[in-house]
Amino acid sequence: MEKYVFSASPHIKSPRTTKRIMIDVCIAMLPACIMGCVLFGWQAIVVLAVATLTAVLSEIVYRLCDGVKFDRILKEFDFTSVVTGMLVGMNMPAGIPVYIPVFASIFAIVVVKMLFGGTGKNLVNPAIAGRVFAFMSFAKAMTTYPSAIIGSLSGGSITDAAGTVVTGATPLSALLGGNTSTLTNLDLFLGTGVGGVIGETCKAAIILGGIYLVIRKVLNFRWPIVYVAVTGLVTVALNGFDFAVFLPSILSGGLILGAVFMATDFVTTPDTKLGNYIYFVVLGALTAVLRHFTSGEVVSFAILFMNLVVPIIDKYVYPRPFGYVKKQKEVK
Amino acid sequence: MKIREIALDGVVRQNPTLKLVLGTCPTLAVTTVAFDSFGMGLAVTFVLICSNIIISLLRNVIPDKVRIPAFIMIIATFVTIVEMVIKKFVPDLYSSLGNFLALIVVNCIILGRAEGFASQNPVGYSALDGLFMGLGFTLALTTMGIFREVLAKGSIFGVTLWDANVFSISFFGTSAGAFLTYGLFIAVFNVAYNAVDRKSRHKLAARLANEEVA
Repeated sequence: MEKYVFSASPHIKSPRTTKRIMIDVCIAMLPACIMGCVLFGWQAIVVLAVATLTAVLSEIVYRLCDGVKFDRILKEFDFTSVVTGMLVGMNMPAGIPVYIPVFASIFAIVVVKMLFGGTGKNLVNPAIAGRVFAFMSFAKAMTTYPSAIIGSLSGGSITDAAGTVVTGATPLSALLGGNTSTLTNLDLFLGTGVGGVIGETCKAAIILGGIYLVIRKVLNFRWPIVYVAVTGLVTVALNGFDFAVFLPSILSGGLILGAVFMATDFVTTPDTKLGNYIYFVVLGALTAVLRHFTSGEVVSFAILFMNLVVPIIDKYVYPRPFGYVKKQKEVK
Repeated sequence: MKIREIALDGVVRQNPTLKLVLGTCPTLAVTTVAFDSFGMGLAVTFVLICSNIIISLLRNVIPDKVRIPAFIMIIATFVTIVEMVIKKFVPDLYSSLGNFLALIVVNCIILGRAEGFASQNPVGYSALDGLFMGLGFTLALTTMGIFREVLAKGSIFGVTLWDANVFSISFFGTSAGAFLTYGLFIAVFNVAYNAVDRKSRHKLAARLANEEVA
């Protein structure tokens, strides 16, 4: 009788825990963070560190207030708040007052994540909500971008209508706002001479992180590509099928950062494959259309909006139940 | 004794804004600055007292089937009076409150108290109920107004505390901020209320147990 062990399911445990996945995401974000620090200097390190520390601390303090013992908090610490904090930091321009990442992280963790029930229960991506909160509250500081330390490889620059060089303008503003940009696509790809928030300018580093996540099977390569491609194509369509804007439009602004790290959050994407297609295609179209008509950076707003639509998608698009056969239509 | 109950009900136990969650529309809309919230609170308090008195006086006259239209008529009368008075004497407040002043007519608190209290209780108590309910409303609105004004504008009742260009969280001045503020206030109020309530119940239980032993 000793041959069999009786126990309740689950019988097999996967080593893939939330903690490991989140550590993977942290590792994947490191290249972009490092490139941000290289391009924007020590101020970027300060912003990233403050945002991350605040996020972790506010989660611990919240749980302590909730009456959870400290050693249990340490045991259950799953690095999601580190990811959120890093993303909040990556979404801030270097050199902004330090209190802004503090408030954004507190808002992201306490209001958006913990009040809704903690990891996995949040309705929208905490980092996105933190960024939007900061954007709405401190609009001026959040849109004052320092220019990168390393200048453009091609000697290109962004000039306004009068021909003077605009420092700290983002290539997206050039694309949308009437400034002219002589930055090449390579500049945009490497982030040299490009103004923007810490994590978004060096696309190469973000894509490197994305590839790591794909290899670690944390990220499905399909979704970022669908999102970015749809945004680019809709932008092309809106500009009268001018394919010259395709690459600049997808390499400008926070699109790639959003596509790799923020739109693809497990918690705030639909459960099914079809649902995900709907989600990312609509998201891409929304981003392109809003960019075109508001002339501003809208990736975070588009993702925030689509996060709220996810429950509706999940309600109507659900997997076929096991063993369920679709009823044949009666032949008349 | 009953007066104390009415006062406690109005300001704390059944606080219209934080406990009953009635009259949310003006709460969300006018609390951007403390002065507007205070003005709105006083206007509602006045309407509440007057309508409670009249409805209580007429409670045996108004036929049951048409009581709601009758209540609305009485309330609308006082709202019109308040609107005219504010327009004449405090034009600034009138212009910043705008339509929300006229919308006091459909404020749930007033109809709720008319239906739930004034139409069943004598005049004196009804007037007191109106007063304390109004005070509870005013208190809640004004604290929310102060909170939002300090954070979003760096001032309190229009007195500048610090330069808003240097530090301000303008999120709290927006309607999304109104919802967040409202939620936070309800949460904090209920946590405090439940803590006090539990303590007083323990005390009561201990006293009853003692009496039993004796």
